[in-house]
Amino acid sequence: MLCDACREALDARLDGELPADEAREIDRHLATCPACARQFATLGETRRLVSENAMRYTAPDVLKARIRGAVARTASPPAADSPRKTFRWWREVAAGLAIAIMSSGITFIAANRSSARASATDELLASHVRSLMPGHLTDVPSTEQHTVKPWFNGRVDLSPAVPNLDKAGFPLIGGRADYVLGRVVPVVVYGRRQHIINVYAWPSSSPEVAPPNNLSRNGYHFVAWRSGGIEYWAVSDLNAAELHTFVSMFAAAH
Amino acid sequence: MNEGDLQRFERVVLPHLDDAYTLARYLLRDEHDAQDVVQEASLRALRYFDGYSGGDARAWLLAIVRNCSLTWRRQRRVDDRTVPFEDAAVLATDDADAPDAAAVQASEQARVQQAIAALPDEFREVIVLREVQDLSYREIGDVVGVPIGTVMSRLARARRRLAVLLQIDAREAS
Repeated sequence: MLCDACREALDARLDGELPADEAREIDRHLATCPACARQFATLGETRRLVSENAMRYTAPDVLKARIRGAVARTASPPAADSPRKTFRWWREVAAGLAIAIMSSGITFIAANRSSARASATDELLASHVRSLMPGHLTDVPSTEQHTVKPWFNGRVDLSPAVPNLDKAGFPLIGGRADYVLGRVVPVVVYGRRQHIINVYAWPSSSPEVAPPNNLSRNGYHFVAWRSGGIEYWAVSDLNAAELHTFVSMFAAAH
Repeated sequence: MNEGDLQRFERVVLPHLDDAYTLARYLLRDEHDAQDVVQEASLRALRYFDGYSGGDARAWLLAIVRNCSLTWRRQRRVDDRTVPFEDAAVLATDDADAPDAAAVQASEQARVQQAIAALPDEFREVIVLREVQDLSYREIGDVVGVPIGTVMSRLARARRRLAVLLQIDAREAS
């Protein structure tokens, strides 16, 4: 075999794209030709170095959430209350109910005020983590506050603030109804780079107890505050400093 | 599109978003452009899902991502700059004070990343499809829209350039 013919086939040999008989022919030539063998080794080393060190990127969660949302919207155009939406909504509540039953089994024994707080954190953590699983983040995926806010009408018994924080770098992703602490609550979803922020809301009940403004568990941060008779809880894996920035802008915007 | 098709799309196509994003990052060299293109490509994939014949869904999606990337570059007039291969020698010889394995690894990654970025577009895409996405020659040909012979010759030339950029020169193979 001539070296020219061999050189042309080296990449295909390396990539396992040659038929067996041609591969054998190349191998025979390589065994007797140091120059071709050296070239083959150089290409092999190049291939190894590149495939072992080249970056594999992970698409940001915010992007995945947007795409899933857009896909869902395309499939069922904005018919506000299609049977499918309702079905999904009930499925969401059923899943939430299952979690609530599980965790209430755990928290049933000690239902005093301090453990109620711990249980709020537990339930919100469970709900937040579940929301990050495919298909669970939003019932109404939309970057439009005027689409998200009215969506809650008739689904939950209070109307949460849905400020537009695009300019501050916290794009709105959408909203969903979730089931925590024994009730259906509205959740407004924001993004920050690849992080997701869930903002839960329910009527504030015990005015004498101030909500915690700095809790963390399992790497997730919780910031709570009150406004207009509503208690808000923001949950995210975003760092605590940026989450506080988000909360102060959210609170200032409504 | 009915519910069944939608579920099939979510099951068959959406798991490959990381690969789609990786290809777009290499082709566009900008994370925000890559995000926009992957979103657009995904929606286009949904629109054309009827035409998907059931082959390798990943290669099918990557072909759409590639087309969207080219369109994006044309529309935005992103100039065809190749990134200069700077500091390769420095990175290659900067391990004077016995760095730990992680540092060596990081500098290898930086070197490889720069070398890939320095390739012309038509070489970079075949290298990424082969070494990063691990596609066969036939699949690469389908994604890029060229015959297998062209895939082979582009890949061969791309590897030889990379060998030079990365200063790989194997001694006599035993």
